[in-house]
Amino acid sequence: MENVICIGGILLVFILIIFFYLLNTARKRNAPPTNVAGKKETLPVYISLADKPQSIMEGMDKLKTDVQKTEKVGDKWRWIPLVIFFGGVGFIVIDLFIDLLGYFSFVFTGGGIALWLAAIVMARSLRKSDSADFPPRYNGTKQILHTLRDDLRPGSTYLGHVDLTGALLPTKVARSAKDAQDRTTEYFRDEWLALKAKLYDGNILRISAIQKSKKRKSYWKRSRISGKMKMKPEKFKGSEHDLKVRIVANPEVYSIARTSPTFKQGLNIGKFTISQLNTEGGIISFVANSPFDEIEHENILQILQSAYSLLQRKAA
Amino acid sequence: MSRKIIPLIVAFVLVCLVMVVSGVFAFSGAVTAEKFGGSVVWSQPYDTAESMNILNVMGDDQDELFLQNTQNVTVYDGSGNTLFSQDYQYPKTTLGDVDNDGTEEIIVYYLGDLGYAVDVISNGQIQTLAQSLSIGLPARVALIRFSAGPQIVLGDSSGTLLALDLDGQPIWNGSTGSEEVRGMDDAKINGQTYLASASHDGTIAIFDATGSQIWSTQMERLRRMRTFDLNGDGNSEVITGGEYGAFMIYSAADGNNLFSNSLGQAVSEIREVELNGDPSSREIVVGGKDGGVWAYSFNGTTASQMWTGSLSDKVNEISGIDINDDGKEEAVLGDDSGKVAVFTDSGTRNNLESHSSGITRIDVGRLNGERYVVIADYSKVDVNKLAFSSIPGFQYTPLIVGVIVSAVILVIAAILASIPKRPELKVSFQDKSRESLEAERRMLKESIADVERLRKSGEVMGDAYLARLKRLRADLAENETAFKAAGFPIKVETIQCPNCGGTLELGMDKCEYCGQVLLS
Repeated sequence: MENVICIGGILLVFILIIFFYLLNTARKRNAPPTNVAGKKETLPVYISLADKPQSIMEGMDKLKTDVQKTEKVGDKWRWIPLVIFFGGVGFIVIDLFIDLLGYFSFVFTGGGIALWLAAIVMARSLRKSDSADFPPRYNGTKQILHTLRDDLRPGSTYLGHVDLTGALLPTKVARSAKDAQDRTTEYFRDEWLALKAKLYDGNILRISAIQKSKKRKSYWKRSRISGKMKMKPEKFKGSEHDLKVRIVANPEVYSIARTSPTFKQGLNIGKFTISQLNTEGGIISFVANSPFDEIEHENILQILQSAYSLLQRKAA
Repeated sequence: MSRKIIPLIVAFVLVCLVMVVSGVFAFSGAVTAEKFGGSVVWSQPYDTAESMNILNVMGDDQDELFLQNTQNVTVYDGSGNTLFSQDYQYPKTTLGDVDNDGTEEIIVYYLGDLGYAVDVISNGQIQTLAQSLSIGLPARVALIRFSAGPQIVLGDSSGTLLALDLDGQPIWNGSTGSEEVRGMDDAKINGQTYLASASHDGTIAIFDATGSQIWSTQMERLRRMRTFDLNGDGNSEVITGGEYGAFMIYSAADGNNLFSNSLGQAVSEIREVELNGDPSSREIVVGGKDGGVWAYSFNGTTASQMWTGSLSDKVNEISGIDINDDGKEEAVLGDDSGKVAVFTDSGTRNNLESHSSGITRIDVGRLNGERYVVIADYSKVDVNKLAFSSIPGFQYTPLIVGVIVSAVILVIAAILASIPKRPELKVSFQDKSRESLEAERRMLKESIADVERLRKSGEVMGDAYLARLKRLRADLAENETAFKAAGFPIKVETIQCPNCGGTLELGMDKCEYCGQVLLS
């Protein structure tokens, strides 16, 4: 009797796991995966930019629509695995009924289990067609490109890339260092936006947004109390942003002021603080830092606008 | 291959598989919905029946139920009324037509007031055939119809044998081993009848009508011995089961071992059951002390295992009964915990109603013209009417289930095939004008120079440097391709590593990504 209860209990747990897996598939309630920084994983998008603003923005919209379309087609069938699961339950009930009549039958139960397997395979395939959300920077970048579109020299293109594949990829480890306790800390450098544009006024604008992150790798440590070796998990140690901007001024149109009350070293503009500023040789070159994990497109546009206060239009 | 075709091909293969399995189950006859049931017609209290038979022992043209336990011999009529009952001390019985009147007599070997004696009960009348016999405590008794004439052979608890003629006069005496006689049966050799006897110490011997031993052999301690002419050649086979699991078949003619197997538990019962309905082969069902059940088929020269099964406790009795009238006997087994089960020719087990105490004997026969199965346990004897029922056409349900499962698989495949491929998340928006391509090229070269500068300043090192460089060089190669596709002249500046496929600058001697030496 104990064996029957034990095996029955294990089977019931398995059936419940399958049921809730299929129910969550149907209700699309999958816990979104998070990265080491505790943030929700987003779609890993990489875009090479070498086209006119309108084409780029239309392409970005199309990519988003295509991803959503794939997801919507899958969404239409999300209840089917659960229906198949209940079909399997019906099969098993038929066998139980036959057994209640005093006969022994396992045929329908076998069919029911086959249906459950088919339902799991289908649910898994449907879940694979799910997409994570587009990263917030995707829309932000589009807004920057949209804002700057009218300032571009006619016929010219944006050049550069938008790399939203993730800031903590192994290929983005810029360097690593060990501390006194032999723990390794990795320093990541993620240049997620690189943009070059020839502007209508003859200037050339270069923007580079870099996220710098720090992560301590997992390591083994002996416990002082129990003496056992324990593995400490990897730990995200924070990140900051650098915004590097270079504006090559058209000498026929502009002269560069050495300083401006609205744009000088040490000034806070939005989430950024200007840490380096160089205006020599007809080029405005500055680096702005932000201690925040996330910066919005408004902050970038705001700092660009402020930088333009250093340019003084020459008299015609 | 197309993304839409692959799920359908996989589904087709799975459907074939499902239908093949369904077909195998449907047409092999492995799937049936059958049940065996029984209802008790009448019941009488009777303790621990050692011997039970349905035979005509009262000379009234009707079969009666004969029962014997350790202190009594009783005969019931077809309705459960007692026709005869007599108490004995340590009785052992056998049935046989002693007086050649066509009716079986009950031969009782027991301890009487004047020592060990033999009674013959004919039509309810007791006649003492012999007494004060020089033999020990009764173990077995058999009526053996030797060609020289019938003899009543007695076997005691120390292996001693004593043969009497039908007047009760001793003819010969002998012995089989030195322990209790556990089996006594008639064995045919070249069509002639001999006595096969076996002792608990493992001695097996064949005797002729004069008490001469034809042959003897020794095996492990023995629990059961039966003789059957399994191949109908006029020579019986002696089948034995041992205390430690040995299951042996000997030729009665010369004692040759025809088959042996170790069953892993003491053999508690052996019976012949015509399981497959084919008289050219005979089947033997063996029960074990731990509940094991084995069915063997003997094809004339050796035995092969048909199936195995199990009961919950020691198998006390096995009986062959054709319950469903299909020409094949089912094996009805009873165990020491009171469970009664029917095993079909394929070994499928069907439980009958359990008894409150261990089963001792099972037999089948006609009582009052009706066919009954009689089951005796430690406290009573039940006369049962067994019934068989089945769901017609159930054997084809695997095909129905297979078709439904196949349909579901095809529907799933069609749905999965209808879902479009997720778009590529690495995209390139590229203007094909010459001016744009040249601007892009310049930008890429600037970016490569930037990466080099970062490496030199120590800001980027190792894998990150190589990864970024690899991506920029790949973009540069794409740019060159776009130039060529548009028909613009271009000076090619990149090559591909033949080993890893990474894009390198023209003129490099070694791949930076995989270390491959380049001979360009």
